[in-house]
Amino acid sequence: MKSEHCIRCTICVENCPVFRVNPNFPGPKQAGPDAQRFRGNREKSVDEWVLLCSQCKRCEMACPCGVEPAQMILRAQQKYGLEHPHTAAHLLFANNYYLSTLGSLTAPLANRLAATKIGKKIFQRMGIATYIPFPKFSFKTLRGEKKSRSRASRKVALFYGCFINFYRPDIGRKIIRLLQSFQIDVVLPPQWCCGLPALGNGNLALARSFAGKNVASLSNYIDAGYDVVYSCTSCGLCLLHDYQGMMEIPGAKKIAENCYDLHEYILKLMAEREIKPHFKEVNRTLAYHIPCHLRALKIGYPAANLMKFIPGLTCRILDDVCCGLNGSYGFKKINEATAIQLGKRAVSLIKKTGAEAIVADCGSCRMQLGGLSGMNAFDPVEIICESLGIRDRK
Amino acid sequence: MSVIEYDVIVIGAGVAGLTAGAFLAGQGLKVAVVTAGEPTACLSTGCIDVCSQDENPLRGIAKLPDEHPFHLIPSAAVCQALSDFQQIMTDRALPYAGGPEKNHRVLSAIGTFKTTCLAPVTMQASPQSTDEKIHIITFAGLKDFYPGYIISRLKNASFSVYDAGVSTTMGIATGFEDNAFLEAFILWLEKRDIRENKIAVPAVLGLESAAAIMKKIESRLERPVFEIPTIPPSMPGRRLFNALKDHLRRQEGNIYWGWPVVGVEKTGRLIEAVIAESQGRPNSLNAKAFILATGSFVGGGLHARRDTIIEKIFHLPVFAPGERETWFEQDYFSANHGIGRAGIAVDSSFRPMDCPWDNIFVCGAILAHTEALKNGCGHGFAIATGQAAAKSCLERIR
Repeated sequence: MKSEHCIRCTICVENCPVFRVNPNFPGPKQAGPDAQRFRGNREKSVDEWVLLCSQCKRCEMACPCGVEPAQMILRAQQKYGLEHPHTAAHLLFANNYYLSTLGSLTAPLANRLAATKIGKKIFQRMGIATYIPFPKFSFKTLRGEKKSRSRASRKVALFYGCFINFYRPDIGRKIIRLLQSFQIDVVLPPQWCCGLPALGNGNLALARSFAGKNVASLSNYIDAGYDVVYSCTSCGLCLLHDYQGMMEIPGAKKIAENCYDLHEYILKLMAEREIKPHFKEVNRTLAYHIPCHLRALKIGYPAANLMKFIPGLTCRILDDVCCGLNGSYGFKKINEATAIQLGKRAVSLIKKTGAEAIVADCGSCRMQLGGLSGMNAFDPVEIICESLGIRDRK
Repeated sequence: MSVIEYDVIVIGAGVAGLTAGAFLAGQGLKVAVVTAGEPTACLSTGCIDVCSQDENPLRGIAKLPDEHPFHLIPSAAVCQALSDFQQIMTDRALPYAGGPEKNHRVLSAIGTFKTTCLAPVTMQASPQSTDEKIHIITFAGLKDFYPGYIISRLKNASFSVYDAGVSTTMGIATGFEDNAFLEAFILWLEKRDIRENKIAVPAVLGLESAAAIMKKIESRLERPVFEIPTIPPSMPGRRLFNALKDHLRRQEGNIYWGWPVVGVEKTGRLIEAVIAESQGRPNSLNAKAFILATGSFVGGGLHARRDTIIEKIFHLPVFAPGERETWFEQDYFSANHGIGRAGIAVDSSFRPMDCPWDNIFVCGAILAHTEALKNGCGHGFAIATGQAAAKSCLERIR
């Protein structure tokens, strides 16, 4: 917390997506370091607008003085959450992991219900926006995937995250095949939600309980010589930053030191000359929407660097705008207008590039941009698998 | 430790760093720009100041004191760098008007005139004298712009207020990117029966398509329209930054955000790598050469202690203008503060003087003897030294 380092230069304000379109949010400078001076432990939280921050962390990436406005606002959000009753939407999204478990167990029914008019009415009643379709649950989760072991020297414990597990296990299977094609042994360690949805919806206790279990489980694998690889950039940010920072989980430092983004990991193996993938031509023109949390990970854009090896591929990087959905943020009725306006702006910039499809690491970015533009939205790993000829074995 | 290999690492993503990075990437080198945060260019007016000492910036440069780093660059190379910049900005749909042989005046938000060499096309029609007839449009509730200041100095100026429904610079600029918003604004203007020859607006005409938005208003109102730069958040500064960043990417250069450099690895007379802060593994960026473009005090490149001035990354020797008593003048608004001369002194190839390493080059506001305020050498100086340092760096690598 370095609120006194702020020089009031307003670079964070220029970068705040919410501030651009929602006049009720005073922007990261006022909501962060400015308001911080008036926040005391014995003062009751009165500023409901702290909940309007989407935690994209663009302010933190832009700040030249190392002030962390998003971190200050996140703490204010937790305090507000403790002192005020939660809305139905906040409660539901905090418990996203349990809901999704239920949803995928009853997938055929749950998906059909979510798509009906009555289903949408129920969502709206609970304060959940329905401008883009809710993602479809997958009956077969990645967690249930059969184990296959080899005697490879490199071992990876995959932190797949809820989105892949419950909605897109096919991408998860592709990641496994991809790593296996490099003679890497892949296991799926016992894991829970990373905790970010709970944190973002004002439930620090639940977030810490998820985090504690994950740290204990992943720690065992690290001790046994595994590298932890994640593919969801928001899960990654939570594992690397929030476990040590906001959540103060013992042993989190070890996790952060041994966690790799999937593409960062592949690039590392290539740089160490352990693997030599033969990329084949992929004739596509793609717009690579950089998820806010990939920026915040501070690892550069590894998937973009990896895709540069693919002949025939044109990939335009767009990192100035947020897609607006921010996980569960845009699904809340109160943020719907903000999310739609930001999403439309992002889509118009994508369309200007003349790209035929979108690529983004984050599942929720793809949901938003694909839903609003009607274009295909891929995970970078899908493009890499296409180039390497790796298919999902059904 | 995560190790990443590049040919050249540029530290600092301001005008100098991005210019140097894009130049080298354009020569086929593998380049990465690392930055702790966004540069002070975002806070600037977006104007390219070369030298305000004379009506002709090139003649102005010749008049600068002998130790000024501008003298390290031949006049033709300064012109080349500026014309390359104009080409880049034209390609990025934000042309810059003017040329290196004549300074222009740009009307400021307090009614004074700023001297600059190249101005964004959105400021091209800015009045050159106080008698021009202009009509200023401001926006209801916009706290960062008071037309009264301008009217008190320009006798033929008047103003009216448009209610855009939003009242922040960012909000209005975002609005202008939307056709319906722009159309409503133009319709309102058309109904106002404005008599003056020129229409002025604070610099809020959009984020990406400012030039096109201005042209559209001009063609409908049939008279010149120009922007008046505001205090930060400053849209023209952000547009400049975004365009240069986009250009670097198109040259296949990489940018690493939020990377304060915290360590340096060296062997003998070479810098091997810079190390960036991280919550997990430290990241090490290895390269054959390094360009330091971290800016001056506000940019974060220089740091003043009680009695000394330090450069925080490589701990290069810093020129300080004597004892602390001589750093500042009594008059706060003086352009002559001694501290303006602080910085890194360099040789003719932009390598720091008395430096133990051979593969480091320095450019931009961190250079010593610049006196940016007094001499009016801002982004123009950054562009020229950025390209010059990049050329020296290229020679070394080849």
